[in-house]
Amino acid sequence: MKRITRLLLPAILVMGLLLSACGTAATPEAPAQPAAEQPAVEQPADSCGVVELQYWNPFTGPDGPFMGEMVNAFNAEHPDIVVTMVSQGEYYTQLSTAAAADTLPDVAIVHADQVSTQAFRNVLRPIDDLVTEMGISGDDYPAGVWAAGEVAGHRYSIPLDIHPMTAFYNADLFTAAGFTDAPKTGEEFEAVAAAITSGDNKGFDITGGFPVQQIFQMMLQQFGGSEFNADGTEATWNSEAGVQALQWMKDVQSKYSEPNLEVDAELNAFKTGTVGMVWNGIWQTTNVTGDGVEFDGRATAVPQIGPKMAVWAGSHQFTMPAHKTVDPCKDQAAAIFIKYMIENSVTWAKAGQIPASISVRASSEFKAIEPQASIAPSVEFAFFPPSVPGITDAFGPLGEAVGAVMNGTTDDIKAALDDAATRANEILAQNKATYGDAPKAP
Amino acid sequence: MTIVSLRKRKIPITPYLFILPHLIFFAVFIGYPFFSGLYISFFQYDYLRPEATLFVGLQNYIDLFKTGSVKFIEFWNSIKVTLTFVIYSVPFLVIIPLGLAILLNTKIAGTKFFRAVYFAPWVLSCAVISLIWWWIFQSQGGLLNYYLKLIGFDTPRWLSTMPYAMISIVVATIWWTMGYNMVIFLAALQDIPNDLYEAAEIDGANSWQRFVNITIPMLQPVLIFIIIITIIASFNLLGQPLMMTRGAPAQPTGGGATEPVMLRIFNEGFVRPFQGSAAAMSVIVAIIMMVFSFTNFRIFRQRD
Repeated sequence: MKRITRLLLPAILVMGLLLSACGTAATPEAPAQPAAEQPAVEQPADSCGVVELQYWNPFTGPDGPFMGEMVNAFNAEHPDIVVTMVSQGEYYTQLSTAAAADTLPDVAIVHADQVSTQAFRNVLRPIDDLVTEMGISGDDYPAGVWAAGEVAGHRYSIPLDIHPMTAFYNADLFTAAGFTDAPKTGEEFEAVAAAITSGDNKGFDITGGFPVQQIFQMMLQQFGGSEFNADGTEATWNSEAGVQALQWMKDVQSKYSEPNLEVDAELNAFKTGTVGMVWNGIWQTTNVTGDGVEFDGRATAVPQIGPKMAVWAGSHQFTMPAHKTVDPCKDQAAAIFIKYMIENSVTWAKAGQIPASISVRASSEFKAIEPQASIAPSVEFAFFPPSVPGITDAFGPLGEAVGAVMNGTTDDIKAALDDAATRANEILAQNKATYGDAPKAP
Repeated sequence: MTIVSLRKRKIPITPYLFILPHLIFFAVFIGYPFFSGLYISFFQYDYLRPEATLFVGLQNYIDLFKTGSVKFIEFWNSIKVTLTFVIYSVPFLVIIPLGLAILLNTKIAGTKFFRAVYFAPWVLSCAVISLIWWWIFQSQGGLLNYYLKLIGFDTPRWLSTMPYAMISIVVATIWWTMGYNMVIFLAALQDIPNDLYEAAEIDGANSWQRFVNITIPMLQPVLIFIIIITIIASFNLLGQPLMMTRGAPAQPTGGGATEPVMLRIFNEGFVRPFQGSAAAMSVIVAIIMMVFSFTNFRIFRQRD
């Protein structure tokens, strides 16, 4: 037996070391701070000592450093709170796996259309009381973006920013074609696009991939339609407005755009200086304007094509992930942190986002930041999907239908939208069946 | 020394100790997940909502065979995409490396250099080769269309129209992985005894006859191995379409024309909360792969 032990023990030791090494490597965030401030739990808030907060967000792009700057500023002003920021890709997969391992951060950014899904999947917890404590209310936000953070009657998130669809234009090509201002209506849009389209130059490039689905949603709303019925149980994009919207997109594509462009091709074409206008998210501002291009590239609000103004937008929202045990010290520190970040979101605006808070947008400091300040009025027209879990799944078929029409895989707009709506309804019914009516524990 | 008496029967311990490290890894990373996957494929299952776990029997499988449902359309579309990729890529990934290996097995100057050149792409990661080829195929100043235009050819949209999107992915994959198969072929070729060729030459066999009657039969075990691992690798297609086309172009009936089954399974289980259904999909894919491998063995064995 001794011999077995002698043979086995080193092997087991080595294996153990290897396995534990793998474990650490696979979850770099796992070794959460040991319970340094744990004794403080039962004590009054003043004696919490130094509270450490983990803060996760998906800002892996050029916006990350701006957020880092805000966190550093917060840490400098609050000696008793230390916030550690982690930006990562594959964000929702990371959140899910962390939720399974109970290693979620204390504060996390979640997109508006994901709040409900993450709430129902027990990743987030309701923060009604903390929001009241912070003195933050819906009055300071456009109704749509605030409503996105409410799930089954409880508040789960606080909006940080709104990032709208933005119109980018080549002012040099505009001047050459005899125009000075960016179009604000459908007629103006077509006039500019037609004037610029000649030879190798295109008036307006639009792709068959991202963000055509978002452009369609915006046109649908502008023509008076909506993606879903009010309670998010049925897709309604195959309405008359939907057909009009997609027909308009197809028409401008055939008149002013190169056909069958792949994702990002419109931006790359725009950057070569041969395209008059493109529409993409506001986050592309630094990429296609200013120093990003060799011509006078500018960003402005999208025009109103249909009878009703509407702008597609996303929104980053502050949330507090769920934990097995709630630490009042951390909650209090997180509330202070979130409030600070909202109030100081002017720095975030410099990263190319529009602060969601109306009072921040009204500040003279924000009004000095261009082009964000001149795009800002358009976020009042931003719309968001109904706050039901898994709503983003239902956009899958819509993306396929719009992509197929724009790529010329099908010509029958009505049939494509109908078919996509049928499939989306099936997905919505599946979601309803699996998620139920309310998250497990509010 | 290595024999330990257990219940009076002699059981050698050492061999088991030698395979123990791999056995542990196999059990932890393949054995357990496999059976666990099989198990959850009979449940409505979301690991974040244990309260919603529900035994559904074969329902997850039945749903995948319900004609006209979203799951049916998307799953079988992605299977079709993956099979198309397998059919397009595997023959090239066997024939081209074999040809290269035979060329590089000759005694001409510079073979070592070319071996390194052809093998080099294999060391790159999937993301890197996908980006390289994205830059070649993309429509706005991409290398390929730039030169096609210069010499007066049509410039198709390589990444957003069919069949070009599939061709792009196949070409990128061949360039990436042919070096690996080539090295294995090369090793097998060098194992063939030279006297066989000499004898054949004396008997008056020309080089084609020598290739058909000596090289191919001698390579057969390696050939089967290459074909099977290439089919399995091609079935696991994920990164190239993810980076190069993102599943585009979309199809009006549902699914993307270059959306592989691995991406569909990932979306079902991790983007949507249906791990049970995703596990059922994986089981079906595993069965398809086993049928493929088994058929291969049978076909080649019958020739013996």
